[in-house]
Amino acid sequence: MKILSPYKEATDVILEAGGEPLKLCYQCGLCTGICPWNLVRSFLVRRIMHEAQLGTTDFGSEDTWTCVTCRACVQRCPRGVEIIDVMRAIRRAVASLGIGVVPDALRISAKNIASVGNPLGEAPEKRDDWAKDLKVKTFASGTEILYFPCCIPSYDPDVKTVARSTAKIFNKLGIDYGLIGTEAKCCGESIRKAGYEDTFQSLAQNNINLFTSNGVKTVVVSSPHCYHTFKNEYPELGGKFEVIHITQYLASLIEQGKLKLSKEINKKVIYSDPCYLGRHNSVYDEPRKVLQSIPGLELIEFPDSREEALCCGGGGGRIWMDTPKGERFSDIRMEQAVAKGADIIALACPYCFLNYRDSLLSMGKAETMQVKDIAELVAEAI
Amino acid sequence: MSFEPKIVGFLCNWCSYAGADLAGVSRMKCAPNVHIIRTMCSGGLSPFFILKALEAGADGVLVCGCSPGDCHYREGNYKAIRRISLLKKVLEQLGIERERVQLHWVCASCGEEFVNVVNKITAEIKELGPLQAGQKVVI
Amino acid sequence: MEEPRIGVYVCHCGTNIAGTVDVEEVAKYAETLPHVVVSRHYPYTCSDPGQELIKNDIKELGVNRVVVASCSPRLHEKTFQGVLREAGLNPYLFQMANIREHCSWLHEPGPEVTEKAKRMVRAAVNRVSHHIPLEIRSVPIFPATLVIGGGIAGMQAAWEIANSNHMVYLVEREPSIGGHMAQFDKTFPTLDCAACILTPKMTEVARHPFIRILTYSEVVEISGYVGNFRVKIRRKPRYVDEGKCIGCLICQEKCPWTALSEFDAGTRKRKAIYTPFAQAVPNIPVIDTEHCAYFLKGTCRACEKFCDANAINFEQSELIFELDIGNIIIATGFDTFDAFSIPQYGYGRYPNVFTSLEFERLSSPTGPTEGHIILADGRQPDSVAIVHCVGSRDKNYHEYCSRVCCMHALKYSHLLKEKTNAQVYQMYIDMRCFGKGYEEFYDRIQSEGINFIRGKVAKVSDEAIAEEEKGKLIVLVEDTLLGNMLRVPVDMVILCIALEPRKDANEVAQLFHLGRSADGFFLERHPKLDPVATMSEGILIAGCCQGPKDIPDSVAQASAAAARALAMIARGKIEVPAITASIDETKCSGCKICNLLCPYNAIFFDDEAKISRINQVLCQGCGVCAAACPSGAITHNYFTAEEITAEIEGVLA
Repeated sequence: MKILSPYKEATDVILEAGGEPLKLCYQCGLCTGICPWNLVRSFLVRRIMHEAQLGTTDFGSEDTWTCVTCRACVQRCPRGVEIIDVMRAIRRAVASLGIGVVPDALRISAKNIASVGNPLGEAPEKRDDWAKDLKVKTFASGTEILYFPCCIPSYDPDVKTVARSTAKIFNKLGIDYGLIGTEAKCCGESIRKAGYEDTFQSLAQNNINLFTSNGVKTVVVSSPHCYHTFKNEYPELGGKFEVIHITQYLASLIEQGKLKLSKEINKKVIYSDPCYLGRHNSVYDEPRKVLQSIPGLELIEFPDSREEALCCGGGGGRIWMDTPKGERFSDIRMEQAVAKGADIIALACPYCFLNYRDSLLSMGKAETMQVKDIAELVAEAI
Repeated sequence: MSFEPKIVGFLCNWCSYAGADLAGVSRMKCAPNVHIIRTMCSGGLSPFFILKALEAGADGVLVCGCSPGDCHYREGNYKAIRRISLLKKVLEQLGIERERVQLHWVCASCGEEFVNVVNKITAEIKELGPLQAGQKVVI
Repeated sequence: MEEPRIGVYVCHCGTNIAGTVDVEEVAKYAETLPHVVVSRHYPYTCSDPGQELIKNDIKELGVNRVVVASCSPRLHEKTFQGVLREAGLNPYLFQMANIREHCSWLHEPGPEVTEKAKRMVRAAVNRVSHHIPLEIRSVPIFPATLVIGGGIAGMQAAWEIANSNHMVYLVEREPSIGGHMAQFDKTFPTLDCAACILTPKMTEVARHPFIRILTYSEVVEISGYVGNFRVKIRRKPRYVDEGKCIGCLICQEKCPWTALSEFDAGTRKRKAIYTPFAQAVPNIPVIDTEHCAYFLKGTCRACEKFCDANAINFEQSELIFELDIGNIIIATGFDTFDAFSIPQYGYGRYPNVFTSLEFERLSSPTGPTEGHIILADGRQPDSVAIVHCVGSRDKNYHEYCSRVCCMHALKYSHLLKEKTNAQVYQMYIDMRCFGKGYEEFYDRIQSEGINFIRGKVAKVSDEAIAEEEKGKLIVLVEDTLLGNMLRVPVDMVILCIALEPRKDANEVAQLFHLGRSADGFFLERHPKLDPVATMSEGILIAGCCQGPKDIPDSVAQASAAAARALAMIARGKIEVPAITASIDETKCSGCKICNLLCPYNAIFFDDEAKISRINQVLCQGCGVCAAACPSGAITHNYFTAEEITAEIEGVLA
């Protein structure tokens, strides 16, 4: 027999986070049906919602940390339940109120973010090292664009090619841009979804003060996660800037005739819609436009694309957690890409980049398949 | 005591009065500052009455009618648009802010819309403050 | 004018008003207002004793103006005006203060609610002291009724009225009457064959001496007012002479051009010259000019060649004529949800995904497969999934429940068991079996061994991951009762699509001044107490155009609308509200500004007297002319400048 949760305060917090829409959930199960986890194991999203309604949430369950916040469920929920907000509230109850245990990998990443401003635990002073030899200036008041690469391209030795390609494109076109410097911290989007609300608030304040005091008006980002939080969550905390994803920026440059791509890439390229660009922010066309502007490139689509795209498995903080083999979404996508005869999987998100790279290697596809960010492809074609 | 605006609301009998009734029937709650006077059509409301309301002590006037295309008398609401736009221009020249006279469409099944309109205009007129003595219209 | 002696009656309405408004205080306050001779408060003023109270005061105390502070005038204005009449007073010497809907119910409890009620009463008292008696006119009405829509609701309404020996014109847009019901196979819960119970009704309606059917016709214009409508009808050309056609069908046999059959929900083709179905009434074909070779490129004319009766007439033109109508009943029915809007269910992508309407045609003996349930490749299905709530109960499409789908889903289960050996799965969220015999039907169908899976289907896929899924459609759904994610391989999927308002509901609403509820269906005057009347007097609605419903409810509502119309026809005349406008000859300067403003063309210019005049019969009392008159020469009865000014001052003082 189940006991109504003894943690009344925690369940109140969850009910409040879920709000009106959570009360409206009529347990139809569409969320479970559409959730990508059910392709690889059982994950009953619907039941978690009902537990939240009744206050019988099992805080100690591992399922607390399963959701990748891909938004497939929220998109189709017939009652408009904000499922991601409920998941976040449950995690917040565990992380902040201390009921239950946070998985180790996540705990470590959270500690790193809180202490040195990036999940990898790298030194803050090294944040801009990726640009050392590339003639990138520091942002000052009056500079047109702030380029904010995201912690992963800044620090990860493989992914920094994304930031470098972007800088090379900007340099070649003479774009007036700069980096904000080593006081920048992680945007906080994913750690917030993982329940570390206080950490997020302090990161956001740090970044907002930094940007505002330097007169930042426009930010171009490489990560859809930075895009999402800067655009949708920072404004109510005082951070009001224009936020543009690199694919949107490149698409507009192409449209204005300022970016001409002349070198051919004669490959079949399959594009994977990142959840935080696509479902969360409805940006589907610009990345495709950019790819289609590359001469010789044949753009093909995954069987489930755009609103139906399968998550890579990196959102909600799960990028820092371990997913057992056989349960990795990016593995499924890798198979799909191979079946479609693709040569290159084109990406627009550093988390996707990490996951797809892992899949490439662990499935032994490195001989026949490549994984590239759109910025990399554009830099090759420019 | 903080300023509580007095707003006269002219609601047309067919759509907006019914919408307000529906809001009441559904027990929706809104600010009590709008005092409703029934008119047959938003287009049948003479601008004289709007001015009279402002002269008699109203800080703002709300006029509600049926949505364009749905007027019970065919096009009365279009006439309301023209008249009230013109009236607002004239009032502006008298130093009376445009936001004090507002025209909104409330359909017969729009209880929630009515409540939103009432709350919004009450908040806006509250911020504008009372209609100043020097601005009072003398007819 | 006599000295006003005002009686004020503040209603408690039980606790509805008295719970938040201090009615005693309001009544006491009213005593202090000018011209008030008596002020009372009473629990239920609209009740018999409440009404008697008012009548007594009029008799004993010489009250000659009445203010009732209670609910909305839209509810009880007529009630209290009746009281004044019975007591010998002109009903327009009356004003209501809406202290319930617009006060006690609309605001959080507090002292300002009672203050507001006092203001409203003062405004009403101020206003009513300026009221003068207004003349009530009676005008005769046209006894004929216009019914728009020849489906089951329209036919029922027409038949009911016609049985009183009064004329009914039944206008139907399609070439035949019958509506959606003609498309169904069997009907729940009795499993009556739809055609068997419908066709006798169709023929009865067709040969009824007091019903004139106008098929392939539309209403294009309407003017006038209740009891005195002038309706313009356009009869589209069939290009077939109805007087000559003998219904032999040879034209359809010989016609080489095809189009998708609307009647068969696109499951098969029909010819360019066609009757929609075999039992069509009238059984006279129509040429579809968008698919006919003669109309498109001037060739063919095969129908003409083969018609022995010489009935084909390519020169036929549309006919426009006018009718004098007393009442209008709108029964235009519903359209179905476009299943393409939910691509995740595979409609249009996989050949064996059908909508409910398409399945009706498949199952019908007059359908494309003569009633055999077969897949696209001709096999019988071994397994069928019936998906509930496609487009209904979903904020992303329609929030409302379409009411009939749970029942027809049960019906399909039965038909499938009867005609095939298929395993049948129903994917539902709730089972809504509310009507007479409906739960019993559910009982019966369950006993036939149907699999019920509680869960809203996430996706229909053709990607097999196991041997048993090869060649099948896989339905992905969580069985919420088991708490298990399921993959259900089936041969056929039936989508229970939502019922929605007709695509042109907007145009129809504007033509007849109908309100629409939030879900887009036509708005009834009161959701519980007046489901057939609309905001426009004399215009009634019935059937699915007012909201999704089954056949029993459509028929009931149609009969209700008919009764309402018959009440007026029986009286033979109606009282026209005295709220009209009139022009003071001494003040009119002859500027003619008002002439063009009247939407009813009720204002005309008297060339001799050089002033404008208003036709009191045509005037509907909107007041637009009065608002526009620069000389203030136009009086809007019941909304005069004095009356409104008094109300404004009362509310603000």
